[in-house]
Amino acid sequence: MADLQHDLHTTPEVGEPADPFPPFADVPDAAVAPLSDPDADPLDRAHTLLAAHPVVDGHNALPRALRRLPFYDLQLGESGVGTDLPRLREGHVGALFWSLHPPAGPACGTAVAATLEQVDLVRSVIRAHPEGLRPARGAGQVIDARNCGRVAVVLGPAPATALEDSLGILRVLHSLGLRVLTLAGTTWASEAGLTRFGEEVVREMNRLGVLADLSGASDATIARTLTLSRTPVLCTRSAARALRPHPDNLSDELLAALGTAGGLCMVPLAADQTGPTLRDVADHLDHVREIAGPGCVGLSGTHDSGAAHPQDLTDAAGYPHLIAELLRRGWPETDITQLTWGNIQRVLRTAEFAAQTAQQRREQSTATITELDRP
Amino acid sequence: MTSLEQARELLRAHPVVDGHNDLPWALREQVRYDLDARDIATDQHTHLHTDIPRLRAGGVGAQFWSVYVRSDLPDAVPATLEQIDCVRQLIDRHPDALRAALTAADMEAARAEGRIASLMGAEGGHSIANSLGTLRGLYALGVRYLTLTHNDNVDWADSATDVPKAGGLTAFGREVVREMNREGMLVDLSHVAATTMRDALDVSTAPVIFSHSSSRAVCDHPRNIPDDVLERLPANGGIAMVTFVPKFVLQAAVDWTAAADENMRAHGFHHLAATAEAMKVHRAFEESNPRPVATVATVADHLDHMREVAGIDHLGIGGDYDGTAFTPEGLGDVSGYPHLLAELLDRGWSHPDLAKLTWQNAVRVLAAAEDVSRDLRTTRPPSNATIESLDG
Repeated sequence: MADLQHDLHTTPEVGEPADPFPPFADVPDAAVAPLSDPDADPLDRAHTLLAAHPVVDGHNALPRALRRLPFYDLQLGESGVGTDLPRLREGHVGALFWSLHPPAGPACGTAVAATLEQVDLVRSVIRAHPEGLRPARGAGQVIDARNCGRVAVVLGPAPATALEDSLGILRVLHSLGLRVLTLAGTTWASEAGLTRFGEEVVREMNRLGVLADLSGASDATIARTLTLSRTPVLCTRSAARALRPHPDNLSDELLAALGTAGGLCMVPLAADQTGPTLRDVADHLDHVREIAGPGCVGLSGTHDSGAAHPQDLTDAAGYPHLIAELLRRGWPETDITQLTWGNIQRVLRTAEFAAQTAQQRREQSTATITELDRP
Repeated sequence: MTSLEQARELLRAHPVVDGHNDLPWALREQVRYDLDARDIATDQHTHLHTDIPRLRAGGVGAQFWSVYVRSDLPDAVPATLEQIDCVRQLIDRHPDALRAALTAADMEAARAEGRIASLMGAEGGHSIANSLGTLRGLYALGVRYLTLTHNDNVDWADSATDVPKAGGLTAFGREVVREMNREGMLVDLSHVAATTMRDALDVSTAPVIFSHSSSRAVCDHPRNIPDDVLERLPANGGIAMVTFVPKFVLQAAVDWTAAADENMRAHGFHHLAATAEAMKVHRAFEESNPRPVATVATVADHLDHMREVAGIDHLGIGGDYDGTAFTPEGLGDVSGYPHLLAELLDRGWSHPDLAKLTWQNAVRVLAAAEDVSRDLRTTRPPSNATIESLDG
């Protein structure tokens, strides 16, 4: 039941009627016992909060970085990369989404072969660090891993090109553990939005429980997916465009729509998207929380992806400093725990429930891109 | 009791493990995986060699479904994954008849439940795109054998039906075999050149299989197994699963096919051309030269010889149904296995012999590969060697 303790205040899902009897409607927040001593040093408070509600990091590209190293030891610490177990522990990271995006530049081999190789690498890295890492295929397993003192590893996001325009391959990748797919860079999810096949992909993802990642997707794709998807979506590395224009950042309009749909904007620790300092990242978090709501904001380290990171946030150990800054800015504790842990748990669990329901109602889709997009 | 009745009786206890069936490819080609259009729970004899009622009638207890894809596709891996998805859909749709099997224990469990154990085999090294990571990915998805080549060479192994290039296995090819041993994936030597067979037998520490190949001494065709290789099977522990394809098993059919191909070339066509004019030329040839017909006895001749050379513990059956246009008389589809067993009974094969041929040998080989894998996984890490680093 450990997983239920984090439902501090939930936001209604899409289409769900508002609760007619809100549980704490007229109880002020102060009535909830504080999780940490409000008079203590913010950094100490951050550590206290994170100990119980660790960070779920929405985008980490470690597998790709390890590929370059002839030898590595994540258990003792690895200076060649930005992510290793000592630093994950120092930063209180409880779960990582491991990106399967191939490095930029000319692709070697095809996308699906590259993805299979990445998956194989992830499995062997996890197997080589049984004391530190544990694979997780859903919300329950993420919580189990945390309760065992392990860092949960969720597979994804993977690039949409890995599907090679085939729903069969989507099902196969899901069976290997893939849980997030970025909807960009293919003919069916392009600047023009989703084609009919693209919509079928989203429906099949809902049926399987694969989350849509809309970071890097076009505005048209984002808008259409928000309407279509029966489960909340993720933007695994998107900040606020109002504060800093960057193609992967979200406009206020989309942030509001994301908030309505219950999706998650995971703010990256990437200097070119947020700005060069820790306070810049905090500004983005403030803005996203204000526009989309505290239930729709998350964190994304983007470590080892090649992005330049803001000062003090260059590796996974930096999270407590960021949380301390948010506490100084007056974020309530419940918002902090949602930001680090609660929101992504809600999204993962909703996706699982929706998939269970959809599998009762829908057969596997055998549609092909030729049928739907080139009649 | 007639020998056919005895054969059926025997198959109830020791059903056939068939090494190779191309139903997924036929479904892909005919209806693009529209499984409603070819519902294998019902009779499909007008379109396919395989459906569940005929598998039942044939006494099939375990089937290696081939997740074959063509080797001339620009990229084989995505197509292979679609084939795997197809097999999984078949298993999902027919839970009463098929059971997914990943291990020898699963095969035994399926037999105990009266379901057909469904395993997967990939046909051709092109399906791993020169990557050991992809090889392990296929294993993780349930693929339990990899045929090292199909009709064309791969970069690291020679095929029986292509111009020799590597002279067997390259250094990377040997690493592929070692990695397959470590994973517990069976090394399938059908389709490969004799040089590749010998190299693979030198390297492999687990039993190998020939998922669908017959004897070259009986019928001289490159797809068959030479005696010197069959002789090595007892030491290796592996099995040769006899195939029924007439143009591999009957010398007259081999010669006839060669003459037909020659005739096509003489008329200026590629020997596999299927245009209207090419078909006309081909039909004219077939009218004046009737196609030789293989029979159950032809296949039994192969088994007799292979038993002589390799021994009764090293035989199996791999029909190649839905992967070949023509079949021997009496073995026209997957319901035909009892006829083969009846013929063998008439030739004096004992019941324990036939139980080994149909069920026990194949299950033993998969179990042995699992044992070897368990051992190797504790002593060596997964290999990340690349073809560039090993073959230069």
